[in-house]
Amino acid sequence: MLKLKIDGSDVEIAKGATILAAAEKIGIPIPTLCFLKKVSPTGACRMCVVEIEGADKPMTACNTPAVDGMVVTTQSEKLRKIRQQVMQLLLVNHPLDCPVCDAGGECDLQNSCYSLAVTHQRFEGENLNHAEMNDWPLIQQIPSRCILCEKCVKVCHEVVGASALAVHARGEAAYIDTVDGRPLNCEFCGNCVAVCPTGTLNSKPFKFKARPWALRKTPSVCTLCACQCQIDINSHGNEIYRITSDDAGTTNQGTLCIGGFFSYGFVNHAQRLTSPQIAQQNCDWDQAFARITTEIEAIRASSGSQALAGLSSPRLTNEENYLFQKMFRVAMGSNNIDSEARFGALRAMQATSAVLGLRGASHLLSAIGNSEAVLVFGADPTAEAPAVDWQVQDACRRRDAKLVVAGMHPIKLSKFANVALVCKPGTELELANGISRLLYERNLLQTDYLNQALANPAELKVHLDAINIDKVCAETGVERRLLEEVADILGAASSVSIIFGAEITKSVRGYEKSVAIADLAILCGALRNNSAGGLFPLDEKGNTQGLLDMGVCPEYLPGYQPYAQARESFAQAWKAKLPETGLDAMGILAGIEAGTIRFLYLAATNPLTFPNAKRWRKALEKVEVLVVQDILPTEVVNLATVVLPGASWAEKGGSVTSMDHRIRSLSRAIASPGTALEDWEILATLYGRLRKQAVSISRADILAEVSSLSQLYDKVNFAGDDRHRPCLKAPYRPLAKSFHYQTPQIDEIQTGLQLVCGKSPYHFGTTTTWAAGPLEIESQGLVRMHPLDASQVGVGEGERVKLTSSKGSVTAVLTLDDSLPAGLLFAPYHFANLEVQTLVEDGSNRVGVTLAKV
Amino acid sequence: MAEVIFSSWGREIVDNRKGEAQALSALQIKLPTSYLDRGEIRAFIGWDGVILLDRQVDVVALAAEYMKRVQEKYCCGKCTPGKKGTRVLQDTLARIQAGHGQPEDLKIIEDLGQLLESCKCTLCMSSVVPVLDLVHHFPDEFSAYSRGEIKPMGALRYTDKLTAPCTDRCPAHIDIPAYVEDIKDYRFDESLSRIRRNMPIPAVCGRVCPHPCESACRRGLVDEPISIMVLKRVPADHEWMHHKQPPMQPKAATGKKVVVVGAGPAGLTCAYYLALEGHQVKIIEMLSEPGGTVAVGIPDYRMPRHLLQREADVVAALGVDIAYGVKLGRDLSLRELKAEYDAVFLGTGAFKSKPMGVEGEDQGYEGFSAGGIHYLRAVALNEGLVTPKRVIVVGGGNTAIDCVRVALREGAEDSILVYRRTRKEMPAEYYEVDDAEEEGVQFEFLRNPTRLVTENGKVVGVEVVVMELGEPDASGRRSPKAVPGSEYVIPCDMVIPAIGQDPDLSYLEDGDYGIQKTRWSSIVTHDGTMMTDNAGVFAGGDCEYGAMTVVVAVGQGRRAARVMHRYLTEGKACLDDEDAMEDLLNNLQVFNKKEQIGLFGGLHREHQPKIAGRERASSYVEVEKALPESQAVREAERCLRCYRVGMIAVG
Repeated sequence: MLKLKIDGSDVEIAKGATILAAAEKIGIPIPTLCFLKKVSPTGACRMCVVEIEGADKPMTACNTPAVDGMVVTTQSEKLRKIRQQVMQLLLVNHPLDCPVCDAGGECDLQNSCYSLAVTHQRFEGENLNHAEMNDWPLIQQIPSRCILCEKCVKVCHEVVGASALAVHARGEAAYIDTVDGRPLNCEFCGNCVAVCPTGTLNSKPFKFKARPWALRKTPSVCTLCACQCQIDINSHGNEIYRITSDDAGTTNQGTLCIGGFFSYGFVNHAQRLTSPQIAQQNCDWDQAFARITTEIEAIRASSGSQALAGLSSPRLTNEENYLFQKMFRVAMGSNNIDSEARFGALRAMQATSAVLGLRGASHLLSAIGNSEAVLVFGADPTAEAPAVDWQVQDACRRRDAKLVVAGMHPIKLSKFANVALVCKPGTELELANGISRLLYERNLLQTDYLNQALANPAELKVHLDAINIDKVCAETGVERRLLEEVADILGAASSVSIIFGAEITKSVRGYEKSVAIADLAILCGALRNNSAGGLFPLDEKGNTQGLLDMGVCPEYLPGYQPYAQARESFAQAWKAKLPETGLDAMGILAGIEAGTIRFLYLAATNPLTFPNAKRWRKALEKVEVLVVQDILPTEVVNLATVVLPGASWAEKGGSVTSMDHRIRSLSRAIASPGTALEDWEILATLYGRLRKQAVSISRADILAEVSSLSQLYDKVNFAGDDRHRPCLKAPYRPLAKSFHYQTPQIDEIQTGLQLVCGKSPYHFGTTTTWAAGPLEIESQGLVRMHPLDASQVGVGEGERVKLTSSKGSVTAVLTLDDSLPAGLLFAPYHFANLEVQTLVEDGSNRVGVTLAKV
Repeated sequence: MAEVIFSSWGREIVDNRKGEAQALSALQIKLPTSYLDRGEIRAFIGWDGVILLDRQVDVVALAAEYMKRVQEKYCCGKCTPGKKGTRVLQDTLARIQAGHGQPEDLKIIEDLGQLLESCKCTLCMSSVVPVLDLVHHFPDEFSAYSRGEIKPMGALRYTDKLTAPCTDRCPAHIDIPAYVEDIKDYRFDESLSRIRRNMPIPAVCGRVCPHPCESACRRGLVDEPISIMVLKRVPADHEWMHHKQPPMQPKAATGKKVVVVGAGPAGLTCAYYLALEGHQVKIIEMLSEPGGTVAVGIPDYRMPRHLLQREADVVAALGVDIAYGVKLGRDLSLRELKAEYDAVFLGTGAFKSKPMGVEGEDQGYEGFSAGGIHYLRAVALNEGLVTPKRVIVVGGGNTAIDCVRVALREGAEDSILVYRRTRKEMPAEYYEVDDAEEEGVQFEFLRNPTRLVTENGKVVGVEVVVMELGEPDASGRRSPKAVPGSEYVIPCDMVIPAIGQDPDLSYLEDGDYGIQKTRWSSIVTHDGTMMTDNAGVFAGGDCEYGAMTVVVAVGQGRRAARVMHRYLTEGKACLDDEDAMEDLLNNLQVFNKKEQIGLFGGLHREHQPKIAGRERASSYVEVEKALPESQAVREAERCLRCYRVGMIAVG
């Protein structure tokens, strides 16, 4: 610790801290304009100048490290004069368009000018302000308002890693533009807009819509992905005008992605469902509930409860998912409940649970940032979990960690990787095994640790001995020297984070591949350290963790209590008779096809985005009674017998659970349109009607019930509702000898052109295809392919191609992408008009296709 | 004889406007009096004042033009006082010059002069120094303009140059503040590109450069110099450790053919810049691998050769053809090269060891090495040389240090360095000497060999005489004198003289090329063009300078390439403004070790992690490990970004 004196007060601070940090620690305010805590100091504005004893010149507090014995003065006539003159200079050629400036009312320049009482201008200079940039999507840049603080440049480069902005030209003519001067083409995360202290970078969707002071800020959580960043919903009346996030006090440090910043448009979409419907005709709630209860009772009477089924959604809250499963199991007597997690997240969870006793991520996201090595395997964190992307960058760009990216195609993070491995599609298990073998071969295993952690250390050696590296290299197409480097990186690091995602978990052998990755996590000690490293399965959907925690699948009751074993105790607690078994999503699908499932309840989910979507479409068309609870008129709404309009995330309360097991609370910022109800109210009402018993819809009551039934949430305790601090589930602490090393075998070699369906970085499920923001960036689904593959069939950028698989054909517009390996096509699954999910087989994300010119 | 009319250079006011003019030479200001073939230098204006050599110079126009260039060409715009303040200054001076000056204007200049003290770097801050000098000392000229007494535009031509003390001191003139700032901004690729504009072998010069820049670092006047050399290694290692491909692309082919003799630092550098300009370049190299002295003269524990190979691969990737095992004078003659190529660059190094001048060294005794450089090469190239148990190395330079450290790694139990002065006078870098000591090298200071002691044609010891230090000589080092009768024998199995190398220019002996040589048998080139007396034949590196440093070789190789490009495309071997101003400022000296910086220091420089002494002495694994990037960023934060602009008025 260092001791220094600031304005006569003593302060102690850690070595390396700046004068500004030291002053902040004892509450001495030093004016700043360009300072942004989450990026490296810039020292541009010179507002934070202070006097230091022994120095003739004023020095900036933001980037001068404190030194033992320093004596600092932050306020003096000299400093005030400097600050005033700097302010006068800043205002040379600054337009006086404050009344129509987007930052009016929340402008740092205005505020500084005011607090320094700068009332006149004595300097003048030629006006060299660059013209406005109005041709960028979503964002407008008005250089005349810019004070060149570089916050936008730095947040883009250092935090987001998009590196889209740069300072151009010299002297007074200097301005900020895209690196190449062409219209902005980036991740459109909006962080540049968020950090801009003036009205230079503006959100076009927000421009001229509302004055900041007229907006009400409601603290909430972004539920578009499982990172669950903490946000403030800025609304007026019943409309969301923008989303903001505070740097201080949020787990995401104020950083958002396109989902958080620009994708709220679907909430106030003109086509929101506003009224319940029966047979596609508006009705009132009473009629809708009556129709559903009548149908259920009739089917139960004729075919029994096993003819009822439901699919729930990671878009719904913990409480809603809890009510959903309870409604089915207790009030309908059916355990035929499942969700889209069946096709990804649940596979990963079953694998990590079998090997490690782990369900979800092993550690907090910050443990990624703290680790010494990171392996991103078959995942694209930028698309699937942007806050994970930022953590990976924090580790490898700011904290000296090594990064390995492995998968069937390069991703954005590949550019930061020490080693980027591109393997042949479907060979991820071999690749994982190869790395495991080399860790062993190169003496990089911590034998003592493994003997202590593994229940079956003997099997490990047998398995590793059997792996042939030459065969691995041949099958995966990865060079041995690169594999060795990867093993050395993972073996040398004292803490390793392994992140795996959709291209592992959503592949047809996702379970086995996840097992191999869990094995690898054991071998490189990823689970050894409590604050750094860990295993992080990604699932793109917002509340998948909560959905599974609440037991929305036939095999588990809440808290992962095996259904068969825990059925009796739950039956007692719920004072009900529970069905003996249940069907999962594929069983439900087969049941509909066989006519044994006659009633299907879709709670905020759209099976037309599931693999083999055509089969699902036929089933939805066939099922006798289809109840759809949703917020937008999706294609499944059009097929529904009864439509129940629900609430968006901004219109309801309740809690959600992030991928790293933080539980956060939503807040109702606006009212739902028309007569739409909060989803838990719908579920509770229906439960009440079926069971003739009222159900509470209070977060506290439901979570109390959950914790009384399961240990998983028994530590959960919301400290207060105002700031919605996240609380944590019980942390993962593996016991000695609890790891079960497994050796899955699969044979998944495929030849020919492969199509992978996955997530776009600009869209989230299907809801954002109703949001103007992301649509401005990606308005339709395009099939990406390497120019070589396109030239083989004689098609070029923007042309239409026909893709044919064993399941059918679709035509699509293509876009060339030479970052993809030749032979691999990528298509986003979000768009109703690009039915790529009809091409893949059940439970798969990849299929062999042929291409033809249209 | 140039005369000084007024000077404020170095903050010393010399005003001869009323009295007799003083000779420029009397002021110890090393400013040339003419510039290229453009005429006489009439004035110099820069960070540390103004020098007027002509009464007719329009000081208002000079100040206005200087500030205009600072603002429009060089100010980065990244701090408020600099960006805005120099613009206000530029416009104010222009207004005065146009006859529209206001009484308030000089006060504004004065106030901004003070405000610019709080600039982010010294570029704008220092630019106001000469302007204030002129305002203070030439008030009549300024007020005359304000009264509308406008002078006609003079016939003077202005030429400017951005520099920094470190950049100036670096023989390759790398834009050091820029690459350091890029590191600070987490832009390692950009940093490397910036380095490569002047230095194509950053992995080498990030490791084994003697970094003269650091002795011209202004941060050193505050606390400790920036670790400039190590910060160069960081982006080079970043590219390598991320498997990134360098981004450089050569320009369109010119159709000109150039041969470069020697794939050492000078040759690789020259080839690199010529290839980028689109010339077809071939390198011939006598050894079987690239790097010259760096490869076979610097051991792998300091400079891993696979990285040297990578640097050569980068050069080769630009289309440069490197032929190994081809020696000029043996396999090819200079005449043949001249006939086949449009230009020739000689970068043949200095591979001939200097004799010690002791009895018996020319007898070919077993155990007597031909020289340090030979010993290092034999080990590097695995020529089967066996190092015995007791080795004596004679000399005090880096090569001597390399020899004693290599001898330890080659199995010597006693590795002894004999040097005729003390540790303090050793020309080797002090940290190399410390490293050697940590590894277990023994030192015999103030000893000079007088005779080899042999048995049956084999060295068994060296007779040495004890030395005493006398008065400092011309070089400032105290010259040693032998103490008569103090001779004694140090037993040993091997003696390696490492007291310096000379170029071997025997390839010039097969014909009269008209190429002049110095008495140290190095090649003479002219006026910074690196061209020899034979038109189209250029030379650089150790064969031109005498055994010197890697970075000098790089600087010369680059300069040669620039001039050769002009020679090939314009038919003239000449300097351009950048070269000429580089030399002019270098002569003037940019670093002032007496400067009072006025900042609070107290920060230590960051150091690379190192393998412990005894552990490393048995292996060739690189001793210095990479500086973690987070530490590099912290170190880069210490940089004061000491940019400054100098401008001459010529006519």
